[in-house]
Amino acid sequence: MDSLSDLRVIDLTGELGPYAARLYAGLGADVIHVEPIRGDPLRDLGPFHKNVPGRERSLQYVYYNAGKRGLVLDLNKKRARDIFLTLCQGADLLLESCAPGYLDSLGLSYEAVSAGNKKLVQTSITPFGHSGPYKDYPGSDLVCAALGGFLFLAGVDNEKPVRACDSQSYRMAEAYAAVSSAVAVFFARTTGLGQCVDVSCMEAVGMALENAPQYYDLEGKNRRGSGREAGAGTIHPCKDGYIALVAIMGKNRGMWEALVQWMKEEGVEDWEVLQNDAWIDPAYRASEIAYDTFCGIFEHYTMKHDKMYLYEVGQSHRVAVSPVSNGKDLLENPQLRYQNFWERTWHQGLGGEVICPGAPYTFGSLQWRPGNPAPAFGQHTREILLELGYKNDYIDSLSMEGVVYVG
Amino acid sequence: MLGKMPKALGGIVVCDFSWVGAGSITTSVLAQCGAEVIKIESRTRPDILRLSGPFRDGIAQGLERSGYFASRNANKKSISLNMSNPKARDVVVRLIEKSDLIINNFRVGQMEKWGLGWEDVKALNPRIIYVTMSLQGTTGPHASFMGYGVNLNALCGLTARSAFPGQRPFGTGTHYTDHVMVPAHTLFGIMAALLQREKTGEGQTVAVSQLAAAASMKPTDVMTYAANGDILGPMGLGDPDAAPHGVYATFGDRKWIAIAVFNEEQWEALKRAMGTPSWAEDSRFSTVEARKKHEEELNGRIEEWTRRHHGEDLTERLARQGVPAGIVNDARGVIEDGHLIDRGFWAYLDHPEVGISLYNRAPFIMSRTPVEMQKAAPLLGQHTREVLTEMLGYSMDDVQKLAEEGVLT
Repeated sequence: MDSLSDLRVIDLTGELGPYAARLYAGLGADVIHVEPIRGDPLRDLGPFHKNVPGRERSLQYVYYNAGKRGLVLDLNKKRARDIFLTLCQGADLLLESCAPGYLDSLGLSYEAVSAGNKKLVQTSITPFGHSGPYKDYPGSDLVCAALGGFLFLAGVDNEKPVRACDSQSYRMAEAYAAVSSAVAVFFARTTGLGQCVDVSCMEAVGMALENAPQYYDLEGKNRRGSGREAGAGTIHPCKDGYIALVAIMGKNRGMWEALVQWMKEEGVEDWEVLQNDAWIDPAYRASEIAYDTFCGIFEHYTMKHDKMYLYEVGQSHRVAVSPVSNGKDLLENPQLRYQNFWERTWHQGLGGEVICPGAPYTFGSLQWRPGNPAPAFGQHTREILLELGYKNDYIDSLSMEGVVYVG
Repeated sequence: MLGKMPKALGGIVVCDFSWVGAGSITTSVLAQCGAEVIKIESRTRPDILRLSGPFRDGIAQGLERSGYFASRNANKKSISLNMSNPKARDVVVRLIEKSDLIINNFRVGQMEKWGLGWEDVKALNPRIIYVTMSLQGTTGPHASFMGYGVNLNALCGLTARSAFPGQRPFGTGTHYTDHVMVPAHTLFGIMAALLQREKTGEGQTVAVSQLAAAASMKPTDVMTYAANGDILGPMGLGDPDAAPHGVYATFGDRKWIAIAVFNEEQWEALKRAMGTPSWAEDSRFSTVEARKKHEEELNGRIEEWTRRHHGEDLTERLARQGVPAGIVNDARGVIEDGHLIDRGFWAYLDHPEVGISLYNRAPFIMSRTPVEMQKAAPLLGQHTREVLTEMLGYSMDDVQKLAEEGVLT
């Protein structure tokens, strides 16, 4: 089974950062998650398995740290820092999400961690990056989404915007941290030279502004979200939830005709109204009367059916309609089931099964793997220290003194 | 100076059949890291983003005025090839022989129709990495279903939770999945295959399912349902671990500030910034749990304060005191934001028809190798002659002949 097993990644991240290293673990890299002695803060975030809080029970922790090994170090102590430096000697990539300057203050600057290992790539993931006027500002997912311009788009007119789920500002930065790190590791593989990579959540969010900056630049318009232009990316209620509909883009008549045909064949009341040429005009569709008229006709039909019916029938008419899925819909989604997308892992510590997303892609020869369950607190501390050449007696004394935690 | 620095992906050649959103963003990032990206286009079937707004001065004429297209295609070269002409394939074959990567986001089967499926391409160049981006896989009951970003946002579960309780879900207001979830996973897959090739000397396929990529970046709803039987509902602007946590009106129209308070230290700092009002000392607001319980009242009180101030002033005051806070920037705000300008996030590039216009670089800064915004998006076919003669070994006469035969349109 082909894998990135020759890559060693050190993951010094917590609430912000863990998905980056997870992507490496998914392809078989040896990922060591270095945790502080008080525990990864992600462990405290719910929801928890069976709704019982506990250090090993956070579902987010379990997902984002699957396939990694766990090493608990108190970096405030000199001997832990020595271990960390030794660990960096054999690594290709250090991913960290510490506040700018924190590692330097511990004597763990890039110069220090890469001494003797010139190929080391260090990637920092922070709310605002390591330079610029906001670099020391405290961040959060919502704040980064707001400052970066992403949040503003999630609403119309004068309405307040809505937050995207699963802390997307963090996820975007993590995904791009994985990508930029791989670019740097690729360069290091060919030249022997590592480097520092600076990834900020605020900039990552700037990738998700669609065409909003260009609208301002070229036409002087400050656009908000789409979602109220009849049939062009609208959400509609149905019997058991909602569906999303893209029945036209611009002036694409062919797309609209497919919708009209669908409505006709289903005998939808007043379907003929949708035949009018006015609907091809985006300006008309964006009017309040068009939106209300459209919703009146279309929803009179959709309210009689459930989302899966509308999905399958609409698609059979070549209309881009899809369910607004919730967790249950996703788990039962026939396509994802067919692909065995959901990963089922038995967690000894939880005494139960965990189901989570699986491979985002498939390769010709590289193999995605779920990997071992996320490490219990300190689970691999001893194993990793032994690999680094430390002796059991010494490890015991480190443990007694709280330099490391052996799980 | 920059031109002399070694580029991380210098020497990597990309045969780029991708178009519209996710694929073009993917190859744009590769180009910024130094890859040579040759975008294959045709006047007979132009990239639909070339027809999508905004347009320079709002004038939607021709194929060259779209800022939407431009923003996804900086640093690339464009060659025009009419793939329905069998001779066009010979040009592609020469390009494939020189390429490290070939990428498309067509419907399943289109490349095979041109004799450019994986097996064909591998026979031409066994080192090539062959990237496909299907909506939701190539087999299975919904493999042929169609959808845009808005559909995928909904299908992957993002929309249901990006909503205010009791209201129709809204989502991100964009084709979000196309912008980050899909291109970032595609890029990581590509880089993994390139790293692997350093070891094996062989190329391979990278098949991204857009639905799978999107679902991987938002695991909580499914995991919670599977573990606990709970269906997670709309989140609004709240956060289960923070209060106050929301967006509050500030002075002006459509002006808001986001404030997120996760612990007592931040709460104390916020109170000080508000001038230690007496209401905030009430026991109903003394712990995160208590504040969560009285969140609506809390939010109202905070908004009474924020609405009398300019968001920019509040952002600075709160952030300096350790409270996560930031204005809800609109496009103009982001473009003029001093922090992003300081970090060189925005670039203005000169385009033959659009003139000087706005782009952004990929969201990372590398200390040793450049991430560069060098050239504006190409005109359709701008580099046909250059690429065919300088890179693919055609003579000027050959090119003339191909042009006369209608291959290069």
